[in-house]
Amino acid sequence: MGQKVELACIIDDDKIYVNLVKKIIEIKKLSENLLIFKNGMEALDHFKLILENATEEILPDIIFLDINMPIMDGWEFLNEFIKIKNNFEKKITLYVVSSSIDPRDLERAKSFNLVTDYLIKPIELKKFEKIFDRNGHAAA
Amino acid sequence: MLNDLQLNSILEDFDIAYWKINLLNKEVSWSEHFDTLIGKPEFSESHFEYFLKEILHQDYRYDFRLYFDKLTEENEAFSIELKLKLSNGKYRWFECRNLKNKENNKETAVLLFVNIHQSKRDQYTIEENFFYYRETAQMTNTGGWYIDTLNKNIYWDNVTKKITDCPLDYQPPYEEHFRFYAPEEHPVVMSAFEKCEKYGIPFKIELKMRNLYNKDFWVRATGKPVYNEDQDIIGIRGVFQDINEQKVNELNLQNSLDIIATQNSRLFNFAHIVSHHLRSHSSNLCLIVELLKEAKTDTDKIELIPNVADISENLDLAINQLNNIVNKQSILRKERRIVSFEKALSGVMASTSSLINRENAKIVAEFHALKEISYIPEYLESILLNLITNAIKYKHPGRKPVIYIQTYVKNETPFLEVSDNGLGIDLDQYGDKMFGMYKTFHKNLDSRGIGLFITKNQVETLGGSISVTSTVDVGTTFKIKF
Repeated sequence: MGQKVELACIIDDDKIYVNLVKKIIEIKKLSENLLIFKNGMEALDHFKLILENATEEILPDIIFLDINMPIMDGWEFLNEFIKIKNNFEKKITLYVVSSSIDPRDLERAKSFNLVTDYLIKPIELKKFEKIFDRNGHAAA
Repeated sequence: MLNDLQLNSILEDFDIAYWKINLLNKEVSWSEHFDTLIGKPEFSESHFEYFLKEILHQDYRYDFRLYFDKLTEENEAFSIELKLKLSNGKYRWFECRNLKNKENNKETAVLLFVNIHQSKRDQYTIEENFFYYRETAQMTNTGGWYIDTLNKNIYWDNVTKKITDCPLDYQPPYEEHFRFYAPEEHPVVMSAFEKCEKYGIPFKIELKMRNLYNKDFWVRATGKPVYNEDQDIIGIRGVFQDINEQKVNELNLQNSLDIIATQNSRLFNFAHIVSHHLRSHSSNLCLIVELLKEAKTDTDKIELIPNVADISENLDLAINQLNNIVNKQSILRKERRIVSFEKALSGVMASTSSLINRENAKIVAEFHALKEISYIPEYLESILLNLITNAIKYKHPGRKPVIYIQTYVKNETPFLEVSDNGLGIDLDQYGDKMFGMYKTFHKNLDSRGIGLFITKNQVETLGGSISVTSTVDVGTTFKIKF
């Protein structure tokens, strides 16, 4: 196992899914801390606050972004995130995670440079470990 | 005076043959040219009998004998068109008339035979062509017209008058002939006529005309410039073809196509929802199973059980919702009936009375302009229900919800408007998603994002459309065009 991820972030409105992933991360000790947002807007507002130095909190190393969410969905979040990501000093790895197996969603996700990969739910435990591990190596 | 020989040669040049009739014994002798025409035959009977039997077409025998007798007995003049069999064995048209007897000659009469075959044939051709033209015009409902731009006159043929429902003696007014075009077509028609009159550009357009009784119908219209000898444009000539039936069919077909296309996209959407919404629950189940496998202690395992309960509940809810959609769609088979808006609304208000009372909502309805409509009753109730509960759900926190419902008719189309004083929504941001399935814009817990999707489906299934206008913090208006 490589270096541990310091802060992972999940943007997803499915409470059950979020709970389960939280458990996985806890059990496997994949990340020290976990940031959870119910939709794109909450996440975006938080990141903007960090940029304005209005909070002591830090940016996550890795983001898992759901597509279908109320208020601001994954696509809208990506469009907004592009505008501010150059202001970040840290490299953030972003995965789009969705239960959609629609190839159009896959294509659309890949059209964003900042999207590392499109992951289809459910993500197997081993896959989770790999993602966090690879991230550790990359950061090292 | 010309002598016989000179006269003969002139007559021959004009292809005119003649008979001399001895009025005393009724004996006939014919000119050399006549003899040549019929092939110099040899015969034993009298000229007259031979002529009747062999030369004259049988259709004219009776009439000719009658005229001949009257001429010889009562000296009565006549003129008849008849067919003679010539030397080549073919019948040709001749005009036969007797020469006026100037000198009161009681002994001889002269019958002239003038070849009129060519003119007769031209006449037939013209009649024939005219017949075809008329039959074609009537069968295809194509009328001719001419606009004399110089003298400002309009001429219509009978078919044009028929397709515009005008009496046959109707004289179309030059200044007001635009009344025969649907108002929305005026710019197109004006530009077509103007370009043709000024620059000689012909036109061929499909447009909506308006008959004498202001009923609109579709025509295909062509127009071409008419020039005088100096190549100046003096008028426009063309035809109107009544294509209303085809056009209406075409429009219906297009409408059906549109419906099929929307049904298709709905099915696509449905498949997407099934795959997406059901998958999210099944994938959670998979995760739990993995976690159960990983769990080391019984406590860890038991901790996961509430999650299973949640997932199964959500899965059940999702399936019920999908089932709901399918049920709504199957109402399609029901028939339209005359539904009163008042009644539909009171039904909806009765079923939502608890919600209305709880939120202290005020519903104002104005159905004076349009009291009822031919619609599927279940659809109308479902539409009203969805829009009303929607308005109450997204009420403004600072005020009691007021919902204003209104029906009216505009351009012969019925409309229903439902306005509220609620939260409003930023349409620039969410407009295109407004009616999508599972789109929720507010943080309300009970927003499922399915009502508007169903409403849109119902409206469109019956050939209407729904649009929305909204201002954040002021309110929202849904407008349904039936």
